[in-house]
Amino acid sequence: MTATIDDTAAPAPAGAPAPARPPRNWTSRVGLDKFSALYLWAFFMIVFSLSSDQFLNWTSIRLVLTEKAIVGVLAMAFLIPLAADTFDLSIGHMMGFSLVIVNVIARDHPGIPQGVGALIALAACAVVGFVSGFIVVRLRVNSFIATLGMSQVLTALTLLLSGNRQISSAFSKAYRNIGLKRVFDLPLFFWFMIILAIVVWFVLEHTALGRFLFATGGNREAARLAGVQTDRYTWATLVVSAMIAGFAGLVQSWKVGTFGNNIGPGFLFPAIAAVFFGASQLRGRPNVWGTLIAVFTLAFGVKGLQLTFTGGNKPWIEPLFEGLSLLIAVAFASRQGIIKIPRRAKAAAPAAPATPG
Amino acid sequence: MQPLLTIEHLTKAFPGQVALDDVQLTINAGSTHALVGQNGSGKSTLIKVLAGYHQPSGEAATALMHAYGDRPEMAVQLGDARSADAAGIRFVHQDLGLVDAVSSVENLALGGGYETSFGRINWKRETARAAAELADLGFDDFDVRAPLGSLSPSQKTAVAVARALRGWEQGARLLVLDEPTASLPGADVQRLFHAIRRLKDRGVAILYVSHHLEEVFEIADEVTVLRDGRNIATLPVDDLDHERLIELMVGHAVERKRATQANRGAVLLDVGALCGGNLHGVDVQVHAGEIVGVAGINGSGREHIVPLITGQVPSAAGTVQIGTTPVANYSPRGAMAAGLAFVAADRARQGNFAMLSVTANTTVSNVKRNVRSGRLVHSLERAESNDWIVKLGTKTAGTVAPMATLSGGNQQKVLFARGLRLEPTVIVLDEPTRGIDVGAKEEIHSLIDEAATNGSAVLVASTDTEELVRVSHRILIMRGGIVAAELTGSDITVENIERAQLQQKVAQS
Repeated sequence: MTATIDDTAAPAPAGAPAPARPPRNWTSRVGLDKFSALYLWAFFMIVFSLSSDQFLNWTSIRLVLTEKAIVGVLAMAFLIPLAADTFDLSIGHMMGFSLVIVNVIARDHPGIPQGVGALIALAACAVVGFVSGFIVVRLRVNSFIATLGMSQVLTALTLLLSGNRQISSAFSKAYRNIGLKRVFDLPLFFWFMIILAIVVWFVLEHTALGRFLFATGGNREAARLAGVQTDRYTWATLVVSAMIAGFAGLVQSWKVGTFGNNIGPGFLFPAIAAVFFGASQLRGRPNVWGTLIAVFTLAFGVKGLQLTFTGGNKPWIEPLFEGLSLLIAVAFASRQGIIKIPRRAKAAAPAAPATPG
Repeated sequence: MQPLLTIEHLTKAFPGQVALDDVQLTINAGSTHALVGQNGSGKSTLIKVLAGYHQPSGEAATALMHAYGDRPEMAVQLGDARSADAAGIRFVHQDLGLVDAVSSVENLALGGGYETSFGRINWKRETARAAAELADLGFDDFDVRAPLGSLSPSQKTAVAVARALRGWEQGARLLVLDEPTASLPGADVQRLFHAIRRLKDRGVAILYVSHHLEEVFEIADEVTVLRDGRNIATLPVDDLDHERLIELMVGHAVERKRATQANRGAVLLDVGALCGGNLHGVDVQVHAGEIVGVAGINGSGREHIVPLITGQVPSAAGTVQIGTTPVANYSPRGAMAAGLAFVAADRARQGNFAMLSVTANTTVSNVKRNVRSGRLVHSLERAESNDWIVKLGTKTAGTVAPMATLSGGNQQKVLFARGLRLEPTVIVLDEPTRGIDVGAKEEIHSLIDEAATNGSAVLVASTDTEELVRVSHRILIMRGGIVAAELTGSDITVENIERAQLQQKVAQS
């Protein structure tokens, strides 16, 4: 494939150190290709604040930010393995698994401090992630299949632990207070999510480890031949994503405090949608800030629609909106050349001499 | 000579660049016409306009298919695939466009449709037809029902040619072959040429695009040289020699260099009794300052020597030692840590991170070098990457340009930088200039020279015999999985290498 695009890349000056920019049409000049979600967000804010007087007030904004903190955490869990081109579809069930563990420990073993219970839940998730890693790396099962299978195993474990019953008011007041505590009028766990995002961003974009993950994701064989320990990193991303998904379960336990069998899997799609939508933003590959922008753009869009058009809680709006948004965003990104790099290359190279500096 | 196809005033401009500038091209009936030029000269664009993939710019371009035999004269609408097809122009593109998982019979039928009886595919007749078509090209030595993936590269090419010629009776008159030998080993090229000669005997004109100039001299009647989008010359091949043709392509005389005597030092690469793949016990020693070439036809073990030495694939037995450090089996990482750098044969699959920047592609071999107190300092990385761009003359829009935007030759330079920045004591290269034009090829060869002069031990495996003659101080000939012969000094010639590669085969038959 590379040989066929040879012809057009030649005229750039030899060793030109200054990065020349590709010719820009109006969509890229206003950043529609990289910042479409921000525009969309602004659009929602304006339209829905006009259409509903309950939309643009702090109470409903805070509600959205609080509600979607868990999606933000779970999206980080999906993002890390995806950087290494590894899918972790078990994160939703992993969240439920973690949630049932803290609940069961709190209910059946009141002697164990609930902080320790939370750590046990995280450790259990790490073990499951380790097993997923073993299946993917050692048994060479496609990560998509491996984690899909693992999510069913997690469902079974969750049912086993909960006895298929709801668990409520198992937690002490001190534990529940974590969910009630606010900083700058937003719940503490929202800030946990922001801190997590900053850490993930730093690791992915500003450390050697992040580079190794993107190299693995970009071309696994080339990465291995360049000395990157691709198997080890792939394995590690699945352990880390399992622990972050477990942490999302803890956030849920602070936020709601009860366990139900259906909690967890429902968060999978919004998290995945946000990561893919986010990958179409900013850098053209999976990235932290694009993901978070996508999480909240979608959330405000859903909120605005619910307030405006239905005058009540219409549950079908959310999945419809999220599904369509994902499809449109990814289709748009594909058209912009994220997938068709060679075509973009043709346009980019000849313009190099024309735009010095 | 009777003209068959005349193209006039063909101009094709892309934003900021004129790819073809008022090109005039006449192909004679029944002749084999070579189209040569460096990367960027416009030959791919010309083929793509002819194939209907690109539209010509402006209105001036015309193409005329002359009357020939019982065919009337016909104007060809440039940029329209159907018009080209109706005029009898057929294409075999570089990637062949075949499906590995299905048989030759099915590949031939793809697009053309199957012969059916009562709505059911008549496999018996299809199979007979495919076998006959391939036998026509001189390929009657394989089962047309076997999956295409099990065939040799030349057999695959033959299937692609046969498919392009399907419906010959309906008027194919010109066959365009776009770099058909790019991935063919030496012996397979001869089989393809044999097929081309058969087609010629049947009156087919052929437009032959190639990087390999020796092929042009062997197969073509006339040659057209493109440079910077202009037709520099169209000449009978007999009026040209190798030096003159290169001069026409690059615009000035290129000095043909030869490797000089190596200033040999200590043994830096010591391979002992290496087995695995097609290798059955290979011993190789490469000294400091020495460039050792490895030749051999496909299947001789030449294709497995680099993957096994560098740990890309696990070896069955044997040792690899870099200096005094033994390298663990199946560990590119271990080999690199011991001081070995390598460039694998398949750039796209084994080298490039197409979506990542030139910088990330360069520095991936040792990312930690640019880490300061845990943080990857992007400015340091880009500065290092830029140093290599300047040093190797890599043409790129910048350090942050995605790898996919570079041409093949420049991607190869980035991969060289990735290895050279490790300051390796041993450098192992597999097909270092595959699919690269003449100018960039010489630059890569100079890099190889320089690395040896600086005291590295270099091993180069290649199917390009001229390349081996150009760079090697010593050449190992692989046959049947072992080093069967060694050439040194003035014995290193293309003829000697070709003969030594095939010797055993000749002896057997």
